[in-house]
Amino acid sequence: MLDSPPPTAVRRRLRQGRDRLATALITAGGIGVIAALLAIGIFLAVEVVPLFWPTGDSSAISPEALWGVGEDAGEAADEAIRHRWAPTASLAPGETPRISLAPLAWGTLEAAAWALAIAVPLALGAAAHSSLFMSRRLRSRLKPTLELMEALPGVVVGFVAGLVLAPWVERHLAEVVACLVLLVPGLLLAGGLRSWLPAPWREALPLGWAGLWLVPWLALVLAASVWLAPWLEAVAFDGDLRRFLELRLGLDIAVRNALIVGAAMGFAVMPSVYALAEDALSGVPASLAEGAQALGATRWQTLWRVVLPAASPGIFSAVMIGAGRAVGETMIVLMASGNAALMTLNPLDGLRSLAATIAIELPEAGPGGMHYQLLLLAALALFVFTFLVNTLAELVRTRLRRRYQRLGGGS
Amino acid sequence: MREASSRRLRLPRGEGAGAWLCAGSVALSLLALLALLALLTVRGLGHFWPSPVELVVLEDGRQLAGERIREVPLARGDGVERLYRTGNRDLDGDRWAWVRVAAIEAVSHPVDLVVLERRRWGQAIGRLAAFQAASGERIEGEAAWAALEARLDELTALRDARDRLREEVILPLAARRGDEGLADGELTAAHGRLRELQAAMAGGRLILDTADGDSLSVPLEQVLGARRPNAMSTLDRLAAWGEGVWRFLSEGPRAANTAGGVWPAIFGTVLMVMLMSILVTPFGVLAAIYLNEVAHQGRLTRLVRIAVRNLAGVPSIVYGVFGLGVFVYGIGGRLDRWFFEASLPSPTFGTGGLLWASLTLALLTLPVVIVATEEGLARIPDQQREGALALGATRLEMLSQVVLPMAAPAMLTGVILAVARAAGEVAPLMLVGVAKLAPQVPVDGDFPFLHLERKFMHLGYHIFDAAFHGGDVQAAMPLVYATALLLVLVILVLNLTAIFLRHHLSTRHGALTRR
Repeated sequence: MLDSPPPTAVRRRLRQGRDRLATALITAGGIGVIAALLAIGIFLAVEVVPLFWPTGDSSAISPEALWGVGEDAGEAADEAIRHRWAPTASLAPGETPRISLAPLAWGTLEAAAWALAIAVPLALGAAAHSSLFMSRRLRSRLKPTLELMEALPGVVVGFVAGLVLAPWVERHLAEVVACLVLLVPGLLLAGGLRSWLPAPWREALPLGWAGLWLVPWLALVLAASVWLAPWLEAVAFDGDLRRFLELRLGLDIAVRNALIVGAAMGFAVMPSVYALAEDALSGVPASLAEGAQALGATRWQTLWRVVLPAASPGIFSAVMIGAGRAVGETMIVLMASGNAALMTLNPLDGLRSLAATIAIELPEAGPGGMHYQLLLLAALALFVFTFLVNTLAELVRTRLRRRYQRLGGGS
Repeated sequence: MREASSRRLRLPRGEGAGAWLCAGSVALSLLALLALLALLTVRGLGHFWPSPVELVVLEDGRQLAGERIREVPLARGDGVERLYRTGNRDLDGDRWAWVRVAAIEAVSHPVDLVVLERRRWGQAIGRLAAFQAASGERIEGEAAWAALEARLDELTALRDARDRLREEVILPLAARRGDEGLADGELTAAHGRLRELQAAMAGGRLILDTADGDSLSVPLEQVLGARRPNAMSTLDRLAAWGEGVWRFLSEGPRAANTAGGVWPAIFGTVLMVMLMSILVTPFGVLAAIYLNEVAHQGRLTRLVRIAVRNLAGVPSIVYGVFGLGVFVYGIGGRLDRWFFEASLPSPTFGTGGLLWASLTLALLTLPVVIVATEEGLARIPDQQREGALALGATRLEMLSQVVLPMAAPAMLTGVILAVARAAGEVAPLMLVGVAKLAPQVPVDGDFPFLHLERKFMHLGYHIFDAAFHGGDVQAAMPLVYATALLLVLVILVLNLTAIFLRHHLSTRHGALTRR
């Protein structure tokens, strides 16, 4: 008892010393890790600078060359020739290298746009359905299922799109068109038929579970449209859709084209858009929706007039996140696009994206050379674009969360 | 007012068209997911099922034997064309045959058609004409098949014995030889036994008559397996299917990745992911603890948190570029100049390898771990921390005894999600170290046992390579399907574990929310 104070003091000092040491280590480690993460942007920027900074042995590249509006822009050069990406082509003396990033940026944006065109309606529809109509049990199952869909590796999706879907679509263009045409009427038909069913049947097929029992119906509709396709082709497209597209509309058809990429990437992007949009929709304070329904609005009217406007910033950020993912996705574009650097509006033509170009060409480009630096510039562009888009989405979401709290005191 | 009331009257029963379109988009997504999984499962597993071999007699009298693959309608409605896998690539230069269905006169399934699986040249299909034993004895007719089967079983047993001898006796002896001279005698004896086994395996060949009248002589050591699919019962087929699946999982690729198994790719994927999780877990947890527990919660911390979150959305290829530029060319190149100058023109660490790939993927998955751990930490109520501090604990004690145990499931969830993401990621690996065919597995008996500088094979890259860079994509397709199915299964299992953990977590800590 008597000699207890000194040991406690020593022990306390020891404990405090250890604590201080640990805190210092955690701080140093934490800052180090975060600095290493943030170093990515700095590294890319530093490596790219010499491109624009003339040094002794290499001349700087003019920004115009990167966009393909160099010296020969004034000539009546063909658009496709003027914007060309051929950094490794051997040059005649005096010729400027073809290093226009424009077709690559175009391909990236085109693929992302088609992916979003497919993913956003699907994801928003699914989010609206699951936040408003779906039964609670199905919803708690659907979320993890779609998360699994998100986790499917890009190589697998790209493989199926590039080697299975693309050749099939090429041989069955008419069937695809028929499916697209009949999809919406088929769904509406399901709704109409259900309302004519006798009451016990109707109760067996509740709207809350429609996401599930519509799956076999959709399969049926798609099968029917495949069966109807030859008739459609004969009536609407002079018997041969392919020739119709090529002759009447002047569209070239590549096996691996932008639409295939869009479909595959839409499939990959849809779950993340869905998750964020669903969060935004179900985060809308219940008092708003209840008020609208108490005034006699149907659930659909509530969604359209009340919930959707309230959640619109969240939906915007969901779409932004989807755009970021679509722009950076590499393997799907690499495997499903044909990788031809074209600048056309034709959705049935191939494309080549920035990310795929990096994946293909960087292993062969020697470090420090112009080609290497150009590819790093492409990576920097991707980095900056996705970082900005994600930051924007994050800021919008934070503000939205605060607004919800103000509106309804939290969800 | 009137408009509103009429609308209410018009929609007494349902919710209108929009509701059905929304429900349809759920159904369409589910249908697409189901179709993808079903396609992978059916094609991936179906490949190992021994399908019957058809003997086709054409109108012009030619004959061919092969497995029916698929049918494609000809252009301009000229009927249908059918694809057969006929094997025998060493005879006619192609293992496929397209046949117009209209030109087929008769199709039969003779029970004596034999399918040989060979080390080189892939499959061979034909009738067994004769079996020649090593002693020179020649057996013909039905007895030949029995003799062949018996001899193949014998060869498998001998091969197993040889591998066992090499693994269990010779390699340990060779490793010990340095310290004592005693082992020398045993080693010589073991080598003698090995030579005996090899001698017992040598010799013997079989003669195969193909459907179009050629004759093929195959040495037995080239034969991996032989079967007569048309004579098999369902049970036999099931057994053959199981064996096929097992061999796919346990063997290395053959014939430029168009045949054989994916064992090295499985091994490389698992090893790389393990290394990555060893690297990412401590650093991710450290950064999360710093951000949530130590750092001053001001504007700067909030900005850093948003930045880390956003880094999870940066394309993986950008991380690959960073890995190539910093790890491979930067650090690796320097290491080569300092420590491996002797072999310099050919790089040791200055090229892609296991270490750099794991590091790059660790960096790629760091945000995932940080975000998940931080969420777990934020869910722990402040009372717990304050209680610990009030009882006299220091911050370190509070963290290690109270906070971290409570956040452990969240960390685990983060690591599993990171592993699932890393296992499916291919694009950065193409830059920092994956190989289409790695001759050496990165782990072996030579010091230092784990070779961090070696290139490795990866399931995802194997899919890409076999599907796009192989000489014969048609032949590689079934294996690509099987590999894709395997990869998807691995990732689904990992994700389901994470989802289950998170569910468990939210039910346990659901009531505890931070004030």
